[in-house]
Amino acid sequence: MNLLLQMWGGYARMTRRWPALAAVIPFIPVVALWTIVAEAGLFPRAFFPGPADVVRSFVTLTYKGILPDYLQDSLIRLFVGASVGMALGVPLGILIGTSRWAHRICWPVLLFFQAIGDIAWLPILLIWFGFGLTTMTFVIVYTVLFPVVLNTVLGVESVPRDLGRAALCLGASRARVLWEVTLPGALPNIITGLRNGLGYGWRALIAVEMIVGTSGIGFMMFDARRAGSTVEIVLGMIILGLLWYVVDAWILAPLERATGERWGLVTS
Amino acid sequence: MKTLSLRNLGKTYFDPYAGAHVTAVHDVSLDVQQGEFVSVVGPSGCGKTTILNMIAGFIPHSKGEILLDGTPVNGPGPERGVVFQSFALFPWKTVLDNVGFGPKMRGVPKAERDRIARDYLALAGLSHAANRYPNELSGGMQQRVGVVRALANEPAVLLMDEPFAAVDAQTRMTLQEELTRIWQDRKPTVLFITHDVGEAVFLANRVVVLSKGRILDEVAVDLPRPRVWDQLVDDDEFKRLSAQVLQMVRAA
Repeated sequence: MNLLLQMWGGYARMTRRWPALAAVIPFIPVVALWTIVAEAGLFPRAFFPGPADVVRSFVTLTYKGILPDYLQDSLIRLFVGASVGMALGVPLGILIGTSRWAHRICWPVLLFFQAIGDIAWLPILLIWFGFGLTTMTFVIVYTVLFPVVLNTVLGVESVPRDLGRAALCLGASRARVLWEVTLPGALPNIITGLRNGLGYGWRALIAVEMIVGTSGIGFMMFDARRAGSTVEIVLGMIILGLLWYVVDAWILAPLERATGERWGLVTS
Repeated sequence: MKTLSLRNLGKTYFDPYAGAHVTAVHDVSLDVQQGEFVSVVGPSGCGKTTILNMIAGFIPHSKGEILLDGTPVNGPGPERGVVFQSFALFPWKTVLDNVGFGPKMRGVPKAERDRIARDYLALAGLSHAANRYPNELSGGMQQRVGVVRALANEPAVLLMDEPFAAVDAQTRMTLQEELTRIWQDRKPTVLFITHDVGEAVFLANRVVVLSKGRILDEVAVDLPRPRVWDQLVDDDEFKRLSAQVLQMVRAA
């Protein structure tokens, strides 16, 4: 019992000194378990590669330049799709959040189209746009759009009414109120929407790349299936997880905290 | 001369749940002279906040006129400053930028509006808090910022909607004393809404008693200034006026 407490104390002190460790240590038992299962030979190697095989494959693919290229393709697609999704979603969310009429008209339609999952659009998109960038971008934008719109509406509606009134009676025009009050007030929610949207978008992108793509991480994984290379498939899965962890934990989550907590929006 | 005049002001709205028209304010007429401090006191539901919201332009009035210097007012505008019960400070702006917001909307350059804001912050003893964010301040300090933010815009009339209702009793007394001091210093025209009889008498030149959407009566307050609670609690004239107003409010 005492030993456990000491270990816990040691862990707490260590992760406080090197916060990056807190992200790494939980994976040690996962990798250990994976190694044991792989080394025990329960499954044939070709079906169930071990960590060492995956690392080797990572080095080879990086060396050949395939992995960096594919990764770049995927990230650029996600970035373009997310940017367009934000550019459409934030203004639409503000319109719906501020205008009761826009809300009445758009809301049911929005929920209807939200229910049609991104992938459900693929058959008709393939007929319209074929196997290419347009189809992929459409799906990403579609996926990012809804979380951004819904969270922006939530953000706009959560701005206390008195804040807008205060700005008006200090001489702000309606347009200024939008810029000085509504937008900053909704910003924490907008970032939450972006965070959710990027998460969904990233998953959707991989799925679309498997079906439509000619490059990208999703394409690499699906292509590896044809060659029967489980190593590359597992490598792809690990990259997906790692990349999202980095983007979410190191960029999006701190951004969300920075806006929401500093302003103490809950209390005002 | 900037005077605020209410002429037969009325507010009727349709209550969809009751399925009937409800009249919150009947036929209120009131003149507030320049540099005057008028308190409006009444029980909750008497229509005092509705009157203030109409003067501020947040809601339309259904009857009568609101005149500022003889000109009808329509919608919110910077000549009518408002201090809110909820403080309504912009949480993403520093105290300095909150106070400088009005001048900013008038197009005053950054350096000049910072000077104005610092001047008003000094007036409220808040110079040290200029670069802090509202949520880092106590409730009393936040409302001091709320008051000087409205004053920094130099409104023709300052509308205060139960501004000290959300702070603790001790802080409230301090804020009331500071408000009388600031009023003596700058002589703004103030319409102060409250349900607290002592507060109404302590602050005002004139107390208007409101009941069920009508003005019941009014009482002139001639107490000497500066007003300090330590002296006034035992002052016979203050006690007499407070008792008189309280009687009207309770009878209402």
